[in-house]
Amino acid sequence: MKRFTSARISQLLFLALFLVLFVQTEYRGNDQISAAVNSFFRADPLVSVSYLLAEKSFTWLIFPGILVLALTILLGRFFCGWICPLGTILDLITGRIRKTAPIRALKRNLKYFLLIPLLTCSLFGVNLTGLLDPMALLLRALSFFFYPLVGDTVRQGWVALYRIMGERRDLLAPGYDIVRDYVLPFRETFYPLAFLSTALFLLILFLERYETRNWCRNLCPLGTLLGIAGRFSLFSRLPKKLCPDCGACRDLCPTSFDRDILQKEECILCMECQLHCPSQRIRFSFSGISAADGPYLPERRLILGGVVTGFFLARFFRFRSPEAQVRILRPPGVQDEGEFLRKCVRCGECMKVCLRSALYPAILQAGVEGVYTPQVIPRLGYCEYNCTLCGQVCPTGAIPNLTSEAKKRAVIGKAAFNKNHCLPFAKKVNCIVCEEHCPIPSKAIRSRKMAEVANDGTQAVIQVPYVVDELCTGCGICENVCPLEGKAGIEVFAVKDRTPLREYGNNKDILPEQGKKNDPYSG
Amino acid sequence: MNRRAFLKTVGFWSLFMEMSVRNLFAREQAMVAVAEGSDHARTTRKALAALGGMKRFVKSGNVVVIKPNMGWDRTPAQAANTNPVVVRALAEEALAAGAKRVKIFDRTCNDERRCYVQSGMKDAFKGMKNVELKFIENERFKKVTIRGSVLAEWELYGEALSADVFINVPVAKHHGLSKLTLGLKNVMGVMGGNRGSIHKNLDVALADINSVMKTHLTVIDATRILTAHGPQGGNLADVKVLNKVIASTDIVAADSFATTLFGMKPAEIPVTVAAYRRGLGEMNLNRIKVVKV
Repeated sequence: MKRFTSARISQLLFLALFLVLFVQTEYRGNDQISAAVNSFFRADPLVSVSYLLAEKSFTWLIFPGILVLALTILLGRFFCGWICPLGTILDLITGRIRKTAPIRALKRNLKYFLLIPLLTCSLFGVNLTGLLDPMALLLRALSFFFYPLVGDTVRQGWVALYRIMGERRDLLAPGYDIVRDYVLPFRETFYPLAFLSTALFLLILFLERYETRNWCRNLCPLGTLLGIAGRFSLFSRLPKKLCPDCGACRDLCPTSFDRDILQKEECILCMECQLHCPSQRIRFSFSGISAADGPYLPERRLILGGVVTGFFLARFFRFRSPEAQVRILRPPGVQDEGEFLRKCVRCGECMKVCLRSALYPAILQAGVEGVYTPQVIPRLGYCEYNCTLCGQVCPTGAIPNLTSEAKKRAVIGKAAFNKNHCLPFAKKVNCIVCEEHCPIPSKAIRSRKMAEVANDGTQAVIQVPYVVDELCTGCGICENVCPLEGKAGIEVFAVKDRTPLREYGNNKDILPEQGKKNDPYSG
Repeated sequence: MNRRAFLKTVGFWSLFMEMSVRNLFAREQAMVAVAEGSDHARTTRKALAALGGMKRFVKSGNVVVIKPNMGWDRTPAQAANTNPVVVRALAEEALAAGAKRVKIFDRTCNDERRCYVQSGMKDAFKGMKNVELKFIENERFKKVTIRGSVLAEWELYGEALSADVFINVPVAKHHGLSKLTLGLKNVMGVMGGNRGSIHKNLDVALADINSVMKTHLTVIDATRILTAHGPQGGNLADVKVLNKVIASTDIVAADSFATTLFGMKPAEIPVTVAAYRRGLGEMNLNRIKVVKV
């Protein structure tokens, strides 16, 4: 019987937890999501460190990540060997992949040339760490590709059953309802960048061809960061080198024994060596730091080179596409584009959780550095008035976690009619579907009756809509439900000033009738 | 016979014929039951009893569809959705009358999951046997030939079409375009496709739809009504509590009576007028027998 180390059991538990939380990151009948997969990002030191560097302020949201970093200084890279779900997936599949020789180009200092520029870039205000964060990579592949694929496949199967069985399918409905309500995504949403996300994930798996944990030891910026912290750790494997008479560790160890000496920053504390040591010599204990552990920091030229690269990278991204910021619609509560870009991890949770599938990853719409950041596309989905889920699941507060009351006032943009398309203007017929759907209690879209000459020359009284800018939040339901096909007759445009709608008087409701005096448009 | 005499005769007889034809096809006088009371379940049952009870509509083994308005992510107090207490009372009555299964659904405007929860429906039917509160599934829409004045055909919901009894349970509320939304407009909730596009001819299109999607029993929830900023509301200042439930087998008559609760006349509501002209029911209040209980 195969024996499991405690590390492997912990890995499997955390992977299961990750997947359960992933499925839980969806509206399942409650306004509040009690636990979401964002916990993993809040405990992610790379996210925490880059947030601190970029935002230069502290929030308790990232505290768990700082804690993990502190524990790493004490214990070493336990995160990689005990927690990281991507690492677990690699461990689970690597046994089935035949290895060729390691890639030499990866063996040099490439990982430092990824981590140091990324962090420097953050320091100068361009936070790109989410692009290479292992959990973000995994989550994006899941949310943009695998999960929608599973959802769509099951759904298609369910529809096919209806074609075959007709109404008798109802016999199976209770079972399907449970799967739909607790496991599947509710909507079949397809995302741009699905293939890129999957390709990156598969590439990481593919790298296992060359050596075990290839991504983890040669590329992963989170692993590299934890490795640097782990060099200081007091907890260590003993003995710190291969025993001259055995050397079995060379094969047992997934990460560290490339050379004959233990490289502490690579040791992920999986403890396979202890379990399988033929002569029971190996133990893990607090040993203090000794000179044999090597230098604490990477070589100076690496650090300097990395910093300079990062600096120029950050400067380079200052050349933002000028029109990008003007057109892009951000999730509710995001007021400042720069701050949003500095905080966003690009984990994709907001897009996954979005009730009406209004959020999609930007490709280049927000500029090169905005890739994978969420944007609202109202024609595909609108922001539901009472919903606050995206703010709840955002790990770093890039999308603020607003109360329902505050969220209802948060401005995404402002709607405007296109008179060449909108039916009452262009075709002189009644419509008003937008006004009907506008969720603002006193209506940000209103209409007045106008005597018009219809296109056939007859007189007609048409209800002509208009937008009350002071009440419009840009939720986009108007653009979404506009019965015109293709281009809507009303569209939401981004605005620079996203100050929340003001409250009128003591009444908490938005522009109640009592507030009529204050509101020139009320009527 | 000279021309003048001929025209006179024809004119006279055509008047007479008009009346006799009407009498020939006249159904029994439209009757609307109006119950009042703050116990809304009891009030609903009273209105139903005045019509002759649920047994008049539901036979043993029937599949009953109840179509409330629960299209909006609003709470029951906001009066944008049908009162769940009224709907539950109807479901219980249908089961008591021998219904095999009661299905409840609506094609919502906001997110269906939120609507079903926020409207109070999910809680109202939790644990009830043989009652299914179900989401709309697109594959169940069936193309129906209408040959109406503006709609040649439209996709309607299969489970609504195949039901033995279709009970239409709107909430009485204001609407920006049709002025009021009542029973006739509530049927939009079983329409598939781009239903927003019928707004350009809303009144006639709804008469078209109602001519093929027959309502057997209309129960209008006026326990509280939304008097402005409909159909979605949201401001409690727009809500008026009336504690009334209106029931009728004649959908146009039910709508016509409900119109008076807003201080309007049925003739002011184009949807009602179009349905009346199509012969879907009676809109003249003096020809409707109102039974208050």
